[in-house]
Amino acid sequence: MKKFWLVFLHEYKRHVLRKRFIFAVLSMPLFVGLMIGIGFLSVWLQYDKKPVGYIDQHQILVDPQQVPEEDKTLFKTVESIAFPDEDSAKTALENGELQAYFIFSENYNETGKVTMKTVSKTSSNAKGDFGDFVSYNLAKGLPEPVFERLSDGNKITIRSLDGSREMGSDNWMVMMLPLIAGVLFIIAVNISGGYLMQAVVEEKENRTMEILITSISPTQLMAGKVVGDIMVGLTELAIWILFVIVGLQVAPVFFDIGTIPSMDTKYILLLVGTLIPAFVMVAAAMGAIGATATEAREAQQMAGFFTLPIVVPFWFTSQIMFNPNGALAVGMSMFPLTAPIALPLRAGFTDIPWWQMTITISVLVVLALFSLWLSGKIFHIGMLRYGKKVSLKEAFRRS
Amino acid sequence: MSTINVSQISKSFGPLKAVNDVSFEVEPGEIFGLLGPNGAGKTTSIRIILDIFKPDTGNVTVLGGNMTEEKKNKIGYLPEERGLYQDIPLERCLVYLATLKGLNEIEAKHRVADYLERFDLTESRKKKVKELSKGMQQKAQLITTLIHKPEIIIIDEPFTALDPVNTQMVKDLLLEERNKGTSIVMCTHQMHQVEELADRIALINKGRTMLYGTLNSIRKQFASEAVIVRSNEDVPNDLPGITEIQKKNSHTLLHLEKGTTSQDVLRELLNRNVQVEQFEIAMPDLDEIFIQVVKSEGAPE
Repeated sequence: MKKFWLVFLHEYKRHVLRKRFIFAVLSMPLFVGLMIGIGFLSVWLQYDKKPVGYIDQHQILVDPQQVPEEDKTLFKTVESIAFPDEDSAKTALENGELQAYFIFSENYNETGKVTMKTVSKTSSNAKGDFGDFVSYNLAKGLPEPVFERLSDGNKITIRSLDGSREMGSDNWMVMMLPLIAGVLFIIAVNISGGYLMQAVVEEKENRTMEILITSISPTQLMAGKVVGDIMVGLTELAIWILFVIVGLQVAPVFFDIGTIPSMDTKYILLLVGTLIPAFVMVAAAMGAIGATATEAREAQQMAGFFTLPIVVPFWFTSQIMFNPNGALAVGMSMFPLTAPIALPLRAGFTDIPWWQMTITISVLVVLALFSLWLSGKIFHIGMLRYGKKVSLKEAFRRS
Repeated sequence: MSTINVSQISKSFGPLKAVNDVSFEVEPGEIFGLLGPNGAGKTTSIRIILDIFKPDTGNVTVLGGNMTEEKKNKIGYLPEERGLYQDIPLERCLVYLATLKGLNEIEAKHRVADYLERFDLTESRKKKVKELSKGMQQKAQLITTLIHKPEIIIIDEPFTALDPVNTQMVKDLLLEERNKGTSIVMCTHQMHQVEELADRIALINKGRTMLYGTLNSIRKQFASEAVIVRSNEDVPNDLPGITEIQKKNSHTLLHLEKGTTSQDVLRELLNRNVQVEQFEIAMPDLDEIFIQVVKSEGAPE
């Protein structure tokens, strides 16, 4: 048993202490951060806080007021300043005090026609903010509830027919979380499986195998490697989840990100119960593939077979969302290879019966154990074979 | 009591009979040469001893019983297929493999440092294994074989890729281990190394044991009726009882008639006042025996 830990630690440290691993772990949040940063940068580059002017000769706006600022906003609303005539507005524009000015047409109330004059291209926010300013001031006189409705917009809630689950327009995170979890799962399982596949081929490629199996039993060796490599993937997953949690804590300070879904025990149980055995199942199966192959490159090509079914539920996200208890959704949430993504996704929109959860998770656990056993078996048969593959038939026959 | 006892083992891979009724014993404190041409069944026999393969028939005892996980710690093995983890520093690689042989990490580090010093590899200890030369990697492999002070050393072609200085160092090491009482099984094609080091040998061909015994007894078995004479003067060519005289670079080879003994020839040479500097019974070297056995597939009658 002591040697199992030695192999486990060796395998784990070998990957985790590598620059490549640290780079891979950090590159994901860095990439996401960079994308958000670039998004802001492009908005910021187009943003111009210089006020706009307007000439309201026909008294369309009564006692105009600026739109109140929202609490959390990175970009201030462009101020709209009234000018008595076009000449004064033009002078201000030429002096660079304004980025543009607007002239209301005589029959604005009927046609909505407004002329904008500017020297160069205005920033994208200028027109929008002026529009908000006009709407705000036009609606101002209406009764309070109507005014609030108009200025806040609609809040649509999608509710399942049986009323078990609902999704409001502000809790889009209910949908996003399983999707994010799914993407992270796929990446992590590929990393673990990839490492594992590489690890079992490695000793064949570098001819260390004979030294190893005269030091440790093949079962302990394989178990140490499988657990070590799975831990590498889980470490990566854990670090990313940490980033997501930190992100979810930090983001609301700057923006309104909607409601973070409350994680009830059942949902967490479901996530852990599905993802972990699925993870072991896929990673070990990839390890088994590695053990049948003779070269790492060959193993990589075969691994695509496992990755493909896992992503299939993503293509059917909308079907799962709108019909979470339909045959397709139920089927995918119970089929072992699609379950890790489909089940949590479905759980976001419906109450999954306990019996379905139990069957799915039990099947996953059994398959995880089976693929561990099978990879150990194939590893044992194929460990000293160079250049010749182990067939699955052979693995079963010898067991 | 012998440390390794191989008793009538056979092993087939499909239609190929890799090992066929092979038996031998290895004693403590001896270097045992396991010889044979490529594909003779040496590596398969070794793998059966090491419990990598199970024999179809026959059995093997190691250190007085079946192979166990604990016994693996008492065996040092240098396989023919050499290899180390290429992507990690040499020192880490050696320490890891040593801990797999049951040493604790502190002890392993300590011994690795000693061996690196002895093998002149201290400066390369932080280098990745793949950055080392072939000879250096070979030395690193020997460290892996010896580091846990095994009671049995099984070593396949130990001198490949070594220069003469390192070859001598490895020989000294093997002799040192033998003197400590370690059993050493050495597989090699290099017959002069076997002649120099091995106490006993087994020659396997096509899965069968062809020769088995001490080096001397085997050479005697193959000794032809001839003597080697080294002298400053020419050896007279009218000596009685001689069928053929072959002049070699450094000596003369005299083939004896049936019934003539080496003593008769020596007496005759001394009677004729020939200055004899060296006189010995011509023994075939192992190379010749090897070729003869492999070609004729057996020992002389």
